[in-house]
Amino acid sequence: MKIEFTKDWCMSMAELEADAEIGAGLVAIDPVFNGETVAVKSAEESIVAFSRFVQLARRNRGLTIEALAEKADVEVFELVTIEEDGQYKPDLRTVYQLANFFDVQRANLLQVAGLIAAKDTHIINEAVRFAARSESVAALTAEERAALDAFVSVLSEQK
Amino acid sequence: MSVSVSNVFLLNAAAGKAEPAELLHAITDKQLADWEAEWAPELLSSLQRLHRTGVARARWPQSRHWDWRRKATALQGMLAYPGFSVVCAGVTQGMMILDVATKRCRILSQGGKNLVYVWFVENAPWNRKELFDPPRYRGVGSILIRAAIELSKDLEFQGRIGLHSLPQANSFYANTCGMTDLGSDPDHQGLRYFEMTPEQAAAFIAKGGKT
Repeated sequence: MKIEFTKDWCMSMAELEADAEIGAGLVAIDPVFNGETVAVKSAEESIVAFSRFVQLARRNRGLTIEALAEKADVEVFELVTIEEDGQYKPDLRTVYQLANFFDVQRANLLQVAGLIAAKDTHIINEAVRFAARSESVAALTAEERAALDAFVSVLSEQK
Repeated sequence: MSVSVSNVFLLNAAAGKAEPAELLHAITDKQLADWEAEWAPELLSSLQRLHRTGVARARWPQSRHWDWRRKATALQGMLAYPGFSVVCAGVTQGMMILDVATKRCRILSQGGKNLVYVWFVENAPWNRKELFDPPRYRGVGSILIRAAIELSKDLEFQGRIGLHSLPQANSFYANTCGMTDLGSDPDHQGLRYFEMTPEQAAAFIAKGGKT
């Protein structure tokens, strides 16, 4: 993302801002993520599940990668990479679009995709279990469909 | 990984003229080194000066304990927490960390939509009047807030942003930025929560004239 600033805009705003204080954020506190190391490790494991989820959810709807890209308004190349590379960290917007299209909670899918620290180990555990139960072959088996349905219900949970 | 850079200008207060600067769409090791080697010593000597001249602790900078290396390290690689920094004359002049994934609008009319939350933003010590009078550069805050707005638009949040202001900065967010003051937030150390609607974002950008 490149942002275009004109010199006039910068100078006008500098005059308006003058010597104002601009600080924002909690006082004297730095971000502390409880269990952060564990969470990140778990998130890495769950990215495989994210990859598998996208593939199965797409196939479950009978869509080609190209058709899904068009319907969810995401890049074809990124979808291919997501499905073929279980370690690929997707673009934030792509996860948003896919969460909307597959009708699951954004925050849950972001955790599974490894884009935010996993706060909910239940979701990560379910993601790993889902990845272990599903196979990336052509037709959805009854077991795969059951695994997908169960994982979608977890991803759809409201916090 | 290459870092996206936008060209900006800061107002050199002593010279009274524009100085070319860069907005980096990241907080890199160079920024953290600047924080350690340039910001921290300046902040320490400023605090010593405030202490010796009998200025009450309540009037000391509220962000004096912030550890940017710790913040940046904790968030490294998490795309949901992007950072921005402003560099002028080869030195970092301001830094900001955002949360683009977990916060929602509180203004009722916005219906709980997604926003970009400004988790931390800070000016270099020499740009802060309370520490360095007159400050060296002006305009860092406006450029960083504009960056948060543009990222919000890029993510299709239409310019919505929110933040918890440090008490000494309330006026900047209420008046210069034109954000809605939703009052003191007991869950965030009593800091006032400010939020910007798409209309307020457009008005903020228009304030500076032609973009």
